[in-house]
Formats: sequence, structure tokens, C-alpha cells
Amino acid sequence: MKKSTAEDSRSHKAQVVVDRLGEKLNRQIVGSLVACVHCGLCTDSCHYVLSNPGDPTYAPAYKADRIRKIFKRHYDWTGRVFPWLVGAETIMTDEELEELKDIAFGKCTNCRRCSLNCPMGVDFATVNRMTRGLLVSVGIMPEGVATVSKDQWEIGNQMGVLKEDYLETLEWMEEELQDELDDPSARIPVDKRDCAVVYSINPREAKYDPRTIGDAAKIFHAAGEDWTMPSDGWDMTNFGLFSGDDELGGAVARHLFDRVQELGGKKLVISECGHGYRSTRCEAPNWAKYDVPFEMESSVETMLRYVKEGRIKLDKTRNSEPVTFHDSCNLARSCGMTEEPRELLNLVCTDFREMYPNREENYCCTGGGGAMSMSEYTPRRLKSGKIKAEQLKATGAKVVVTSCHNCVDGLTDVIRHYELDMKVTQLVNLVAEALVIEKPARAPAVAEELPLAGRRIVVADDEPDQLLYLATVMEDYGATVYQAATGDEALELARKEKPDLVTLDLSMPGRPVTEIFELLRSDSELEGLKICLITGRPEMRELIYQRMEIPPDGYLDKPLSEDDLLRGVRKVLELSHQEG
Amino acid sequence: MVAAEVETEQIQLIKGDITLLEVDALVFYAQPNLELGSGFGTAISIRGGPAVKKELEGLGPIETGEAIVTGAGNLKASYIVHAVGPRFLEENTEEKLRTTILNTLKCAEEAGAKSIAFPPMGSGFYGIPLDLCSRLLVELVSGYLKTSANLTQAIVCVQDSREYEPFRKELSNVTGWRRG
Repeated sequence: MKKSTAEDSRSHKAQVVVDRLGEKLNRQIVGSLVACVHCGLCTDSCHYVLSNPGDPTYAPAYKADRIRKIFKRHYDWTGRVFPWLVGAETIMTDEELEELKDIAFGKCTNCRRCSLNCPMGVDFATVNRMTRGLLVSVGIMPEGVATVSKDQWEIGNQMGVLKEDYLETLEWMEEELQDELDDPSARIPVDKRDCAVVYSINPREAKYDPRTIGDAAKIFHAAGEDWTMPSDGWDMTNFGLFSGDDELGGAVARHLFDRVQELGGKKLVISECGHGYRSTRCEAPNWAKYDVPFEMESSVETMLRYVKEGRIKLDKTRNSEPVTFHDSCNLARSCGMTEEPRELLNLVCTDFREMYPNREENYCCTGGGGAMSMSEYTPRRLKSGKIKAEQLKATGAKVVVTSCHNCVDGLTDVIRHYELDMKVTQLVNLVAEALVIEKPARAPAVAEELPLAGRRIVVADDEPDQLLYLATVMEDYGATVYQAATGDEALELARKEKPDLVTLDLSMPGRPVTEIFELLRSDSELEGLKICLITGRPEMRELIYQRMEIPPDGYLDKPLSEDDLLRGVRKVLELSHQEG
Repeated sequence: MVAAEVETEQIQLIKGDITLLEVDALVFYAQPNLELGSGFGTAISIRGGPAVKKELEGLGPIETGEAIVTGAGNLKASYIVHAVGPRFLEENTEEKLRTTILNTLKCAEEAGAKSIAFPPMGSGFYGIPLDLCSRLLVELVSGYLKTSANLTQAIVCVQDSREYEPFRKELSNVTGWRRG
């Protein structure tokens, strides 16, 4: 009879993780797993440690040891011969895997600052990414990671933007652009064949920040570029980088690369996104085992090239507020792109101030590595942003520019949480603002109607300043506005005034806004009413969309500029198509 | 498009979006609690409207290998077969996937479906290897269609070339295969 051993009682998932660890080992991983001498130099490079000085569990060496001990026990001879000496330990239970999940996903953004500062060349971020991949393969991952990964696997983009919504957004941005330039030749061409440039974007742009698409289109138009956007395979982000799932990484990239080839595109331009650029340009050809036959470049390089080639002209005085630049970890540390954005910034604004430390030594925005999708770790993430907040504040800048969509969201949360007087924007927005475009001469309109004229809107927000701001902007553009300080007041006003639109702040006291939303939706006398949610907490979006049977007609993130508010409200009211 | 004929019945392999297909039944690889969630669940929720979610209330959880049928709301399909298959390299994956596919076919037929559309069952997010998924799906569906009285047409709807190739290979081994 076979003697039972501890190995026999290992859970199935733990066994799969142990087995697959062996399959994942390569020279880079093994080097990082054996080379650590626990000197501690990585400790002070981590923003989690710097913001939580009393908690040693955030130290990169400690975190790496959680996976290192399994490697030592199963795949390194030292751990097999004298495990007590080298700290080798196996892993037996699903609970231990959950603990590993908490470290791999909740205590590291894979920003690689510790990797850069390790004298032994230990790349902890790579080990951590592998650990994430092992956990994902057995279904152990934060809910948000599962949601986003499944969207990217099955819908083809990581925010589940359906094709019809994406195309509608492009049409809307095209109409806005034609309006702005008063030029019907300003277009966003879709699926145009044999173009010089195929432009790919982050789905965040289509879902939450379409202004960046419009601004990019404006720049392509001004440069006279022969360009297009694909109707499918347009997402250049890759959640495989964050989840550690190389299969997903390869599938996403192949989809994008195939599409560029089908369209006969000469060059793939990747919009301003750190992880998108790193994934698509640097990692994905390996994940997908794809020999990419076309050029790829970041839109930062594209915009800079247009200026240098004299294809666009900029008036930097239009961006006169003090500006600083946040280097994305993926662009700067992992891809070495540090000077191009600075060169462009100096061409596009009048007061650029460095942040210290900067370039590859910059601190993480706190939103990298998929952290923005893991709402269970939000308090931890915001606490770890203390060092970033101090760094931002020391610049004295009013605007922080970054070439990464994760950083936009991460920094926005840090700025809000630490109450800094700053806003976040991207280079594409600054370049579009500074573009000098000579408009064709037209006869002035006799009487121009205000864009929200005749619209009746209930605005609900419990913060008086915010309520006044939203109401004033909408009134200035011609709307009749009814103000409500609570959800119940909004409900009462909606039933009484029968408005075209209700905007609801998500965090009002009293009855949950989800309940108010359901009541508005189910009221037969309010059929056709549009509802737009306004939130300062982006992590709440998913909860709302999952819980509500009929999703809201739109959503906007605070803080809201006048332009964004007007554009968002017009979109919800579908005014762009009727009147654009 | 590549089509494969199985004697008098037909399996088609197409690239596209399964939630846009005009078939009697489309298959959704569901979670045990039957929540639609993200991915194809997002598309069903948005394009199909709230009816599907409402019909699912109180029906879950169901066991791995089981399937249930609901209406398809505003989708072009008439029914959705919510099939709970094996997930994330769990034990006995092949046996469980086999059971899931057979129960899915039975469920669709009992609902009166004549045509059914499958995604690559469990591959992608749930980590079922594509070669296993394509081998089982083609084998079981083609076998089922031979003896089925009502279910006469099946579509395998894939998203890209990566998913397409293993199914094309499996279908090319089926008697009567032709390039469509």
C-alpha cells in the first residue's frame, strides 16, 4: 500500500500552480528567483513601502519570497537538499493561493521601479506578472481582473465597448470636429484601405474620454495624414500584460495585427497609452509569435514628427498654465521613451516644469498594473499614492500631463484624494488646443441658437458648489435647469417637471442613487427620460452597470470641464446627430 | 466562410459576433450562478435588453455540465442556452466539457430549436485548450445532428484566425466537408 504524503493532500489548484510554475521558468525568471541577496535596496524604491513605512509586507523582496519559496522547494536543488536553509516551502491549499493573490494583485502595480534599483538585476515585476498568470490560470483573480479579461477575450476590447457604440462614438466625434472646424472634409475614416496610418486606441477613449479621439482626428486632419481607424480590432491595450495571461496577450495582439494587415496599413500608430504601447510594440510580437510586417509608433512620436516636418503649426501660448509631466512606468522604465514627450511639451506649452524624480526614476501613478480595475484594493491604492501626491504638489504645476490612460485615472484619483489643485491631461489634448488651423472664410450666422436651447434638465448633486457649477454651465448653454440636492428631490422634480434629462451624482446622502435610478426608469410617465450619472468615483461604474437592468444613457467623471460637460450632455440627449 | 456538411446535416464555421446571429438558439458559456457578467454577457445584456437577466432570476446556481434555456430578449436569436462548462483547468475537464456540450444540444432541441450557434466552448477566458474544444465540439455536434429529429443546423462562431484554424482542421476531417 502506498504511503500517503503531504503532497497527496495538495489542492488541485495548488498542484496546477506548482506544475505550471515549472513550465513558466526561463532564464530571466530563474535569474530573478535565485539572485536576490535580501540587501533591501529595493525597499525604498517602492511607492507602497514609502507610503506605508511600518509595513514590511510591501517590501519587494518580501513579496518575491512568497513565490521564491515555492520555486526553491520544487525546482531548485538547494531547496530540495536543505529547504530549512534557503526558506523553501511548498504550497498546499486554495487559501494560500488567495494570500498569494493579495500580494501579486493587491500590493504591487508591476511598475518595475524596484527592478531598476536592484544591484543583482532581480526583476520582481516580471516574477510578479508570472505569479499573476499562474493564479489566473486556476481562476484565482480579483473580480475586476476577471471582468476586464473576459471582455477583452470575448468582445475584443477590455471595456466591453460594442461595435455599434464604438462606431457611433467615431461618428459623433467626426461631427463635432466638422462643427468645430466648420469643415466637412474633416473626417474620421473607418476601414479605409492602404492608408499610411492605422490609428488604434484605448477603449477608455471610446467609453469615457472621446475628446482624445476628436483631438487626435483634428491633428491627423491638420497634418493632411492619410489615416484610418479599424471598425474591429482597434483596441491596442492588452490586459494580458496585467493579468499575466500570455494567451490573452497573444490573442489580443494577433487580432490587432491581423486587422492592420487586412487593411493594408503601412504603419500602426498607438494612441497615448503606456501599457498599450509596451504590450503592442514590445511584448506582443513574442506573445503572439507574430512577425509584424509593418511599422509601429506611439502617437507621441507621430505628433512630434508632424511638428518637425512642418505638417502642423502650434501656438504654445494657448497652453500657458504651469505644466508638469508624469512618466508612465511602461513608456519610460520599460520602453525608454523619456525625451520625446518632453520635446513635444516644450513645443506646445509655455511653462513646463520637471517633476522629481523623473523619467525612469519616476514614481508610479498608483493606477498601473490593472490596479484601476481592482476596486477591492482602492483604499490601499489611494494610501500608497501619498508619495505621488507629495511629488505632484512640489512641482507647483496646475496641469499634469501624462501619455498613459491608466496614469490619467490613477493620477486623477490621487489628486482628488489628496485634494491637490491640479488637473490631468494628455499631450494629444495640448497639441490639439495649440493647433493653428486657418478656417475657410464663411458668412457669419445671423442668429446662432445655443446648443442646449429648449432642453429641460434636472441636476442632482449634494455638493452645493458642484450643483451650482453644473447648473450654471447648462443654463449658459440655453437649458432650463432644476436643481436638486438629494436623489429624492431629483425624483420629485422629475415627476413634476417632466424634463428631457436627469443628471445624478452617485454619492448623495439618503436613498441609494441606484434606487432613485430604478424609480425613474420604472415610472411610466417618465418614458423617454434620459439619465446621466456623474461620479467622482470611477470604480463605482462597474457596480452600477452590472446591477441596473437598463443601463443609464450616459456617465461623466468629475472633475468636469465646461467642454466635457456640454459634450457629454449633448451626447446623452443625442443632439449631435440631430443638430450637428 | 468555411462550411462543413455532415451527411444531410450541416455545421458551419464562421468568423463573427455570435450575439448578432439569426439562429434559433445561441449558446452562452455561463457561470454556475447564471449571472451574465462581462464578455458575451455584456453583449447579451445590452443588445438583448433586461428580459434575459430577468428570466434568469432564481434559476441559478446550476452544476457544471448542466444547461438551461431562456428567451433571447431583443437579440435575433430565439433562445439562449446557458451552458455551465468546466473552467480554469479544473479536474476532468474533457469529461465535463463532453457532458456540457451534449446537455446543451439536448436542451436546445427540447426547446424546439432547429439551428444552434456555439462559441468555442470555454476556450479563451476559461482556459479550455482550443484543440480539445474544437475536437469535442465537432465530434459531438456532428454525431448529434446525424440522429436528431429537429436540430438540423449548427454554427461554430469564432472571433479570429487563432480560433478559426483548429476548427477548420477538425471540420476538414468530417465526412462530406467542403469549402464554402
